[in-house]
Amino acid sequence: MTAPGPPPSAGPSLPVEAPPQVPAAEPRRRLHPLSPLLHGAKTIAVIIAALSWQTLNSVGFERFALVVLVLAIGTVVFSIVGWLTTGYHVVGRELRIQDGLIWRRNRAIPLERLQAVELRRPLLAQLTGLAELRLEVVGGSKTEAPLAYLTVRDAAALRERLLELAGRTQAAAQAPTGPAAAAPSVPALERPLLRVDNRDLLISQLLTPQAFFLPLGIAFVITQTVLEGSWTFIGIASTVTAMAGVLLQPVRRVLQDWDFRLARDPSDRLVVRFGLLETRSQVVPLHRVQSVRVTWPLLWRAKKWLHMRLDIAGYAGEGGGDSKRSDRLLPVGEFGTARALVWEVLPGVDLAALATTPPPRRARWLNPFALRFLGAGLTPEVFVTRSGLLTREMSLVPYARLQSVRVIQGPLQRLLGLATVYADTAGGRSGEAKDRDLSEAWALAEQLAVRARQARQI
Amino acid sequence: MTDPVPAADALEPWPDTVEWRPVSSKLITVELISRGTWFLVLLAGVLVGWSLQGSRWWLAGVAVLVVYAVWRAIITVRAVRAWGYAERDLDLLVRHGLLIRRLSIVPYARMQYVDVTAGPLERAFGLATVQLHTAAAGSDARVPGLPPAEASRLRDRLTALGEDRAEGL
Repeated sequence: MTAPGPPPSAGPSLPVEAPPQVPAAEPRRRLHPLSPLLHGAKTIAVIIAALSWQTLNSVGFERFALVVLVLAIGTVVFSIVGWLTTGYHVVGRELRIQDGLIWRRNRAIPLERLQAVELRRPLLAQLTGLAELRLEVVGGSKTEAPLAYLTVRDAAALRERLLELAGRTQAAAQAPTGPAAAAPSVPALERPLLRVDNRDLLISQLLTPQAFFLPLGIAFVITQTVLEGSWTFIGIASTVTAMAGVLLQPVRRVLQDWDFRLARDPSDRLVVRFGLLETRSQVVPLHRVQSVRVTWPLLWRAKKWLHMRLDIAGYAGEGGGDSKRSDRLLPVGEFGTARALVWEVLPGVDLAALATTPPPRRARWLNPFALRFLGAGLTPEVFVTRSGLLTREMSLVPYARLQSVRVIQGPLQRLLGLATVYADTAGGRSGEAKDRDLSEAWALAEQLAVRARQARQI
Repeated sequence: MTDPVPAADALEPWPDTVEWRPVSSKLITVELISRGTWFLVLLAGVLVGWSLQGSRWWLAGVAVLVVYAVWRAIITVRAVRAWGYAERDLDLLVRHGLLIRRLSIVPYARMQYVDVTAGPLERAFGLATVQLHTAAAGSDARVPGLPPAEASRLRDRLTALGEDRAEGL
């Protein structure tokens, strides 16, 4: 903290600091002073979960509370030390983040590699008016540099600024553009695209296998309690906790996807907002969308509903199922909505006019039931593949985002003269044209390679 | 599918316009040595077992091991011959695999970085492996068994072509 600039916690001074725009001289900033407390609270919750009901039962409440208290103080002290040593600042077209007490880490994130920026507000952060800023960069095994926590205003301004820097070309970056850095987000100019009705979301999550099993689970607990009087509160509580992990997934989805809104911001980026307890708002530049997947689950067929996900590079390495990833494009909706949305996200692609051809008849030896639903097609903008008997899926890969093409032929496929073509993207999932006729597979691969090149040159 | 579909043969996977380069046949020796070492270790284990117990089952085990080793040796020789790569103007093609045949097409423009590696055994025979990485996890463009000169030529060519072309994503 050598710079004579404003003190780190002075959030409101943001518009003032724009005029003296010397990139290197920007002071290092700290995260919000409340962040260690919030981090500590999170860790304590994890610790309590790890200690579990069994421990509470065996050691008694007072001792349990004591252990938790000691650990709580420990984590808060640890978090404060972490907070003191963490800082960030923007230098030129890089975001630099320092952290670590013993192993100092100084990380520079080139902003032209930025894929998406997300603003997350867990429940505690919402109560305190804070937010976490997460940057997605390619090549990171997990989300790089979550800046937790900043005030909402700071976070939004920083996000706008980072995206501004990321979108600019090298030549433009050299020109002094003072106002750009100072311009805060202008939410009023956003063009809303879509809002998912919460009632639809609720119904859609009731139409999942887990929701059908939930009554069974509850019935199991009740009968156990009634039949065996020996069941204590602890016993019931631990059973419920154990079952909650699996059976409450629909509930989690409802909480996460609550109040789902999509918009286009003035710079033509996609803004996705959702969540009830933890709100997330994610900004994705359209050219960072690696692929779009459309899914028609079995139980939603009566309603003619579908859901859509989009793949962004950088989320690929982050496993952990769908709770951690923010890859929703449409949690639930009708075909018409989806069609309009795809037109927005992948300009020129009409979901209703994507023709696919099925594999040859002899592929039925490998896919006795699902043959009718397999297919692949080359449309002018995207590579389309379909699959799935019960849960039908369709994946759209824009040619410009193709990373590599693979043709793979297993022993059984060789007997039948078939091969599978994969179109790899940086988003993790590949478009997969299963069991094509061999000569057609070669032609597909060649076409994909050629079209990928042409799409890039425009 | 407007383009004429070229007549393809299962054994010659790409139209003849592509010039496939084989990998060095010294790779066969390297692969055989590394497999042979494992074979010898296992064989020694079985023979020790036989000398201690004298049961006939151990001899049967030796027979199975020998048959398996011979079969693997044949497979190895054929697998190395099946490796091939081709540098086209704008992309690199790599094909390999016998049981499961794989062909990868990686445009130079999508390259993120290139690895050149050589293990101790490979080095003893003057070989190196070049691997091309893209942002997609699924891409596999790995060419083993290249003479060092060829490996560095390929690496330089790949990086030079990669630099010309965009950011890769």
